[in-house]
Amino acid sequence: MNRSLERILPRVQKPARYTGGEYNAVVKDRRKVEVRYALCFPDTYEIGMSNLGVRILYGVMNNLPWCWCERVFAPWGDMEEEMRAEGLPLYGLESGDSIADFDLIGFSLGYEMAYTNVLNMLDLAGLPVRAEERHELSPIIVAGGTCAFNPEPLAPFVDIFSLGEGEDVSVELLELYRKAKGEGWEKEEFLQAAAQIPGLYVPSLYDISYHEDGTVAAITPRDGAPEVVTKRIVQDFNKSYFPVKTIVPSTEITQDKVTLEVFRGCIRGCRFCQAGYAYRPVRSRDPELLVKYGIEACKDSGYQEMTLSSLSTSDYRHLLKLCDGLLEWCEPEKVSLALPSLRADNFSMNLMHRLQHGKKSGLTFAPEAGTQRLRDAINKNVTEEEILQSCRTAFSGGWSSVKLYFMLGLPTETDEDVLGIADLAEKVYQAWRETTPEPRRGVRITVSTSFFVPKPHTAFQWEGQISMEEYQRRVKLLRDNMRGRSISYNWHDPDTSVLEAVFARGDRRVADVIEEAWRNGAKFDSWSEYFDFQRWQDAFASCGLSMDFYAARRRDKDEILPWDMISTGVRKAFLWREREQCYQNKITPDCRKQCTGCGADKLYPGGECDAE
Amino acid sequence: MRNSNRLRFTKAGRAKYISHLDLMRTFQRAFLRAGIEITHTEGFNPHAFVSIPLPLSVGFSSQCEVLEFELRRGAELSEVPGRMNAVLPEGITVQKCYEAVKPVKALTYVNYIVTLEYENGAPFGAETAIRDLLSRESLVVLKKSKKAKSGQVEVDLIPLIAKFTVEGRRDTIALDLIIRAQNPGLNPELIVSAIREHCPEASPDYVAFHRKDVLDAQFQPWE
Repeated sequence: MNRSLERILPRVQKPARYTGGEYNAVVKDRRKVEVRYALCFPDTYEIGMSNLGVRILYGVMNNLPWCWCERVFAPWGDMEEEMRAEGLPLYGLESGDSIADFDLIGFSLGYEMAYTNVLNMLDLAGLPVRAEERHELSPIIVAGGTCAFNPEPLAPFVDIFSLGEGEDVSVELLELYRKAKGEGWEKEEFLQAAAQIPGLYVPSLYDISYHEDGTVAAITPRDGAPEVVTKRIVQDFNKSYFPVKTIVPSTEITQDKVTLEVFRGCIRGCRFCQAGYAYRPVRSRDPELLVKYGIEACKDSGYQEMTLSSLSTSDYRHLLKLCDGLLEWCEPEKVSLALPSLRADNFSMNLMHRLQHGKKSGLTFAPEAGTQRLRDAINKNVTEEEILQSCRTAFSGGWSSVKLYFMLGLPTETDEDVLGIADLAEKVYQAWRETTPEPRRGVRITVSTSFFVPKPHTAFQWEGQISMEEYQRRVKLLRDNMRGRSISYNWHDPDTSVLEAVFARGDRRVADVIEEAWRNGAKFDSWSEYFDFQRWQDAFASCGLSMDFYAARRRDKDEILPWDMISTGVRKAFLWREREQCYQNKITPDCRKQCTGCGADKLYPGGECDAE
Repeated sequence: MRNSNRLRFTKAGRAKYISHLDLMRTFQRAFLRAGIEITHTEGFNPHAFVSIPLPLSVGFSSQCEVLEFELRRGAELSEVPGRMNAVLPEGITVQKCYEAVKPVKALTYVNYIVTLEYENGAPFGAETAIRDLLSRESLVVLKKSKKAKSGQVEVDLIPLIAKFTVEGRRDTIALDLIIRAQNPGLNPELIVSAIREHCPEASPDYVAFHRKDVLDAQFQPWE
């Protein structure tokens, strides 16, 4: 181990997250590999190691004998301070080598508030944050993940964005790099060639011009870069890589268990949900394969907890068969099985009952909106009766704690909808009174509201976010009308949601704000310990940009959106139609009932949607 | 519940920074990976029952860590080290696995090697100063305590140090200490802070702590 690292570690909190050396970490001979990749997650080790995407890409890349992929996470403030004082640059956990000497550095972008950490990590590596100031073929900075669907706020910092699922395109990119390195290409030559690989967006090959009002006038590709870059998907999910043999951290992480990814995509089409549109079409794994993976992964890791993962687990056609198959092995082995993101129907409740063996952890529902009118408008296809029926089943089975999640500020929301949240909470309380076998134990109903953030590539990508003042007025309205000692109400702080709205639909000019705020100390913005809204307000002011322009402004139908060069496979016209359906309070059937022609089935040859 | 089997293992390199609780979890999982069945706790969340009689501070290395468990089936005691070493993280190595000989309460002393490192060479006279300090009749230091109202208690280090040698080299001074293990035990960090306080000229730039052996009351290896 590096000597200066050894000196630093006794002085920092939780040093095990900075050492590597975990079971199943991949160590290769640095002299025998041709390409070295630093897979960076711009948050702490505990969060990053809980990310399934990181584990998949780590496995896929390390399966290439000529490539060595190492992990890098954002050091917490105390560690950063020590590293800077000691002159220790950001290093790969496996080798301890400085990542500035790696060939490629890839960031996983899961949430907008991690953007400043991307800059901070580049800086800790000793690299210029701007792509134009990095002239050599190495390192190439790559970024992927959900946020890459609007890459523009990070465009000046990143050389290549990878869109959609990374299993195949990462290998194609590495192969191209290997050739370029072998033949001694210039960086520019490499980037132009990379832009020809489907799913890779090279921002420096696109010129953006603006109208006087600040909206985008034109997006002009050059040097043969495509007009539109379409995301990649894994076509046959049964054949795609699953990390059976995966790193077992030696220190506790946020999701410390085996995660079984059941299917990708979602049939539901909630109009606010970026994942619901961006990960289409639905592709699932066979239950037999999942049972085999689950058992092997538990045996190899020693984990005694397994969780099923997908956007809406109860929509898996073979859920019962899968659970039976897993439980047959799990129960005698004392491995517990968790099923998050279930829908509020009776079938799921019975299933939960079976899984929990007398343990009654809290139940969570996300009705998202308080009235049926608004739930229809956002296409959240769940009825009040379904929610209440599930609660009754749960309460009569002995559950006594329910969490209800809502959003405030959804398009078309009125005060009636806001008050509907309090009504629904009250009805849940009545349901408890009618059904509980233990009235003396009491019940805890927790209502949480977050501040709606319009996301790109959704039906609401044209919408304005309501103002912070209006959000706070609605919070107060709800708070004043939330009665009963058994009901508690939490609301999300609006500051980060406004910034999230800015970054989610920002253009390339927002990059200046991110850099300015970072230079003034912004990092770990999703952590309250570090977040400072004033710093961001100052950064916008000094860059001459307005938060409202990005967050609060409603876009016209014909406006060129900053992310129009990116396609998720879902047509813009489809999204607009969904938006109009919202304003008419009309629901759209889910993909299984009927194909509504979103376009995502065209992403692969012979593709079909989930309709029966 | 009683555990009658013991593992003796090394904790070094990157594994030095694994905390006590994380280390127990690491072993619980490693037993499962190795396919060795050990006794479980009862209750809602049954888990492999392991205990470490003398937790090691984070950042210390050791060649004499002991973990107690109860083998049920899946392996002979003699196979356990090989099977475990195949599935343990880097830096943790099981040396042997055996039936407990002496009870935990017989564990009386620990042998530590504490290496004081000096970037510009060990200061002149530091070795003697440290030897003199540890040879005092009494050496009272303040120690953090959760029980005391003030958050601190006074501890006299001298009665807790059974034997010591001090050996100076060019850039380091090595302390070979045999100190009380428990009831009450002594953390060698307290000795280093006493050196910093009483012999500031001998303050090291960096200190490495290594646990070399665990001993009974007769200074014989505790197993």
